[in-house]
Amino acid sequence: MNRKQKILLLIVALAFYLVLLPYLCRDRNYLLGVITTASVLSVISAGVWLIFYIGRINIGQGAFALIGGYTGAIAISKLGLSFWFGLVMAGIVSMLVGIIIGLPLLRLKGVYFSMITLSLTETARLTAQSLVPITNGPNGILNLPLPGELSFFGITLIPDFAKVNKHIAMFYLSAFLLIASYAVLYRIINSRVGWLFRSLQQNEDLASSFGVDVPRLRVIAFAICTFYAGIGGAFFVAMQQSIYPATFSVQDSTYFLLYCFLGGLGYVFGPLIGTFVLYIGFEMLQGLNEYQPLIYALLMIGMMLWLPNGMLSLRLPFLAGKKSPLGGAK
Amino acid sequence: MGQVLINGLYSGVQYALIALGLTLIFSLMNVMNFAHGQLYVLGGFVTYYVYGVLGLPFVVALLAAGITLAVVGLLFDILFFRKVLARSARDESTMLLATGTALLLDSLFIIFFGEKHRGVPTVISGVMRISNNIFLPYSRVLIIIISVAVIVFFILFMKYTRCGRGLRAMAQDREAAKLMGVNVDRYSMFGWALAAMLAGLAGAMLVSVSGVNSGLGTWLSIKAFIMVMIGGAGVISGAIIGGLMLGILESFGSSFLPGNQYLAIFIALIIFLAIRPRGLLGRQ
Amino acid sequence: MAIMEIHNLSKRFGGLAAVNDVSFEVKEGEILSVIGPNGAGKSTLFKLISSFLPASAGKVLFQGEDITSQKPHIVARKGVVRTFQETTIFREMTVTDNVVVAHHLHSHTSLLGFFFGTRTARQDEKEFRERAGDILDFLGLGAVKNEVAKNLPHGHLRALGVAMGMAANPKILLLDEPFAGMNAQETDEALGMVRGIRERGVTVLLVEHDMSAVMKISDRIVVLNFGKMIAEGDPEAIRSNEDVIEAYLGREDEEIGI
Repeated sequence: MNRKQKILLLIVALAFYLVLLPYLCRDRNYLLGVITTASVLSVISAGVWLIFYIGRINIGQGAFALIGGYTGAIAISKLGLSFWFGLVMAGIVSMLVGIIIGLPLLRLKGVYFSMITLSLTETARLTAQSLVPITNGPNGILNLPLPGELSFFGITLIPDFAKVNKHIAMFYLSAFLLIASYAVLYRIINSRVGWLFRSLQQNEDLASSFGVDVPRLRVIAFAICTFYAGIGGAFFVAMQQSIYPATFSVQDSTYFLLYCFLGGLGYVFGPLIGTFVLYIGFEMLQGLNEYQPLIYALLMIGMMLWLPNGMLSLRLPFLAGKKSPLGGAK
Repeated sequence: MGQVLINGLYSGVQYALIALGLTLIFSLMNVMNFAHGQLYVLGGFVTYYVYGVLGLPFVVALLAAGITLAVVGLLFDILFFRKVLARSARDESTMLLATGTALLLDSLFIIFFGEKHRGVPTVISGVMRISNNIFLPYSRVLIIIISVAVIVFFILFMKYTRCGRGLRAMAQDREAAKLMGVNVDRYSMFGWALAAMLAGLAGAMLVSVSGVNSGLGTWLSIKAFIMVMIGGAGVISGAIIGGLMLGILESFGSSFLPGNQYLAIFIALIIFLAIRPRGLLGRQ
Repeated sequence: MAIMEIHNLSKRFGGLAAVNDVSFEVKEGEILSVIGPNGAGKSTLFKLISSFLPASAGKVLFQGEDITSQKPHIVARKGVVRTFQETTIFREMTVTDNVVVAHHLHSHTSLLGFFFGTRTARQDEKEFRERAGDILDFLGLGAVKNEVAKNLPHGHLRALGVAMGMAANPKILLLDEPFAGMNAQETDEALGMVRGIRERGVTVLLVEHDMSAVMKISDRIVVLNFGKMIAEGDPEAIRSNEDVIEAYLGREDEEIGI
């Protein structure tokens, strides 16, 4: 695809996503909710993808989403802050925890890093369960209010969600988060920063031999990853209007891997496509809910055996002419 | 204090069995088996049916769990890991595969066994009185004896049999072992079977004391990871030390910081890994 | 004048001393080779000097500054740059991209600057590409600059490694076995390349097994055996040194090549 075709494709995709989808779903709140959830999950997956991109596997994204979710919920319900403030705080708190934990842990290679991140998800859940005074323990924090008005010098930027169609409002908020996070990711990957990240993925020693501060770059990537998780977690909680210690579990952390993997680890939009196809596709198959983990598991194993580079690696006619999987962007 | 230590030791020897299997697979194939806890749970379920439901003797159940799991381990290798390893030796391929198999087993457990917690009648009743205020139920004494016996047997096997030496050669240098005429494929298969069997035996013992349920797998995998991270991945003595240490830490934690012991263990682990990223005995 | 001084450098693994109390100097503008039979501790020494391994004892001074056991990227920033053997390149990138990425130390822009694509960032990118082109031409890789690196033949891979080292603007370039596994003609080309590097004002320290190549190119040679330095001097002196002959004869005859 040349530049013109790319832009055209982007415009068509955005028009479909921002105009046609909400229009088609105007009377189907459930469906719109599914799309909203997929949008926010794809933001969280984007973080996992970035960590794949620097050559690590993060099975702890659920922990950071949970931290973000609780930060948002606590900011709103206990501190009485506005949702918007809570959302930003969620991203920042999750990122700070990510940086503090990441500094020592990102030195660990391969399986060590994955083992510890997996343990992290479980630890976050246990912590949420036992810090009863702050988190209400296993009972969770319920009945969170909808996002309120956001105004700037008396000018309403975003209306109170309770006064408008909340499903549509939530959808557009998630769409905004999705577009912003993927725009940032796309820019990262296609700038020199992306080249440096790729150099880490391929060989950290080589990168440091010509002066790249490898540990710093890893922490930067992890900070972005955990920021996405925090924002995504807080939004998800606002949408559900409640949070429990099990809102994000080890299983969710694993699903995020699958989303990235299904879309393709070599493509910026891999996690987006992976999340949408898998999550929405699954919701279409009503009645199979009970078998969701089973189907996901089989899919994951099947992918590993037969389609290791993800869905976007299928050379579909309209995607033809792409770069090699590691060449970066679509 | 003594009681806490004894309890820790009791968990620790069982944990060591799990960690041994995990570390064995890692050293042979550089695969971290994220489904190891699930194998352990499967061992528990087999025992539940053979001993608890069918009422056969516990020894039979123990054997059945060991054999079933050995077969499952074999299948894991043949159906999944061998194929993926043949194509890519990257950590991430096998790790994602293992994560997938963990999810697969978890979901199968839910479908076939439901979410109920299952227990079985105790194998031996009665309590051993070690001193005035230290007690140990005989059922736990039995488990300690069996676990230690299995560990000793495993070490002797690895040290003195031809097969064990082949495995160790392979763990040290796969390519060199191949050149020396070790049938690497067959030994991989055997390693998987052996490792899964250890997990199965540990699971069988678990069910006899604390019962088993479908949701335990991930948590046990995590515990097993903590053990190998403490001891050092791929080292047999590291797995044993890691297992014992986790058992003791857990036991002390739950008596001094009830509810928060794992948070404490985890924070300690992060600090520990910052200082010794390869664990106590791992190759630095 | 000495650009680098190595004082009593040692590295022990467990009880075994892989490098044992080694001291020598590298003079500015020279080509110095470290040789020794297999297992003599050459590659350990190499990693110690480039800070890819922490030393157990001793010091490495670069332009009078202690750089022992610093982080590799810090040492690279000071001008001590190592190359790797052929397999260590960014296999999935093109040849040019490999060298462009390696220009890291030339950036005048922060990561944020690159993210936003500021004017200096664009200038940097343009400059990196031009410089990469120069370096590739100089090392004879101009014809393959758009190939994906993993498709290159061995000789070119080796040159690419050197190109990446050069991109980091070294004051001293450490070459890891630059002639290993080459035939006579390839070796001659590689020798020309190393001389060219020196002509660009870069001091060269190389670790090598191939004696004949080393004899042709080195100003001075340091010989290691069992982790200890057994000789130091110009090629003539090394050629006639009894200890060196014995060290090499003690192993395999073919390896001498003198």
